[in-house]
Amino acid sequence: MTFEEIYQAYWQKVFRICMGYVNDVDWAKDISQETFITVWQKLPEFRNESAIGTWIFRIASNQCLRQLEKQKRMPKSELPEQLEEKPENPNELQISFLYKCIAELNEIDRIIISLELEDIKQAEIATIVGISESNVRVKIHRIKEKLTEKFKQHEQR
Amino acid sequence: MSSDNFKDLWNQQSTPAPDVKDFLGKAMQLKKKLRNKIILLNLLLIATAVFITGIVIYFHPQMITTKLGVLLIITGIVTFLVSNNRISKDLFKKNMDYSTKEYLDQFIRLKQKQEFIQKTMLNLYFILLTTGIILYMYEYASRMTTAGALTTYGVTLAWIALNWFYFRPQAIKKQLSKMNEIIGMLENANRNLEA
Repeated sequence: MTFEEIYQAYWQKVFRICMGYVNDVDWAKDISQETFITVWQKLPEFRNESAIGTWIFRIASNQCLRQLEKQKRMPKSELPEQLEEKPENPNELQISFLYKCIAELNEIDRIIISLELEDIKQAEIATIVGISESNVRVKIHRIKEKLTEKFKQHEQR
Repeated sequence: MSSDNFKDLWNQQSTPAPDVKDFLGKAMQLKKKLRNKIILLNLLLIATAVFITGIVIYFHPQMITTKLGVLLIITGIVTFLVSNNRISKDLFKKNMDYSTKEYLDQFIRLKQKQEFIQKTMLNLYFILLTTGIILYMYEYASRMTTAGALTTYGVTLAWIALNWFYFRPQAIKKQLSKMNEIIGMLENANRNLEA
């Protein structure tokens, strides 16, 4: 796979994972970009083509974790252009609520649920995160329960 | 809300990928910038060394203390620049494709090491610089009157003392609190991984 092909195939997925982590479009774009810069730099050394997805998602997750070092991002209020955007999708409110709920989880849960929603196999998630498959399964179950609960409360309001 | 619905909602979030050519242009630029930074830093190091050597040659110091002083000052400056050069940060980038668990472990270890190095380096820098200045001044002060020499040393030592007792602890405290905060967050993430 050439870099261009990887970029086209994975940009959207990586962006969503970053978006699940920070829930801020511009910030997520920045992290996605950093992820692809690492991919671009390290691609010549990468040999195991069958596991390219795992490799890219590991880099993306670690780039997300690195954000712990730079928590002091500009507050969203400084990005007025984003507030003026009109929702194009009728589900916009629900989508943003989902991403908001995910961003409220702890760092690890955010990464795990993002990978799960991206339809990545639980065995692969286990390899990406470095915990056992059964642990992944338990965590996903708990996170989904939490999200369902939040949606229930949200709908009742 | 079922989990299929979550997936459905999740997938509706999208943003157009920036053009790959734009992206590659940016990546190249970044690489160039990084290289320029390294070149600039090295030039700065060389210029400092040349400048100080120039002073030594120009003033023809006679005593070994002066030469030793200059050597210590140069060592101090080099130590400081090198430790601030984020060498560890660049090394760290190599392991971006570790699993989350390995990455976190390494991240925590690195931060703890960085915390130690920063503190040690800052102290070392001050000690080298102070000793260097005191030695360097000796030759010139010995040619002054006693009062002149005392004043020169007095003012210099007062300035050094202010740095040592006021600015140094402040700098260390600031670094420490920032570092501890990050380490705390990382350890918390690590606990969540195990839970």
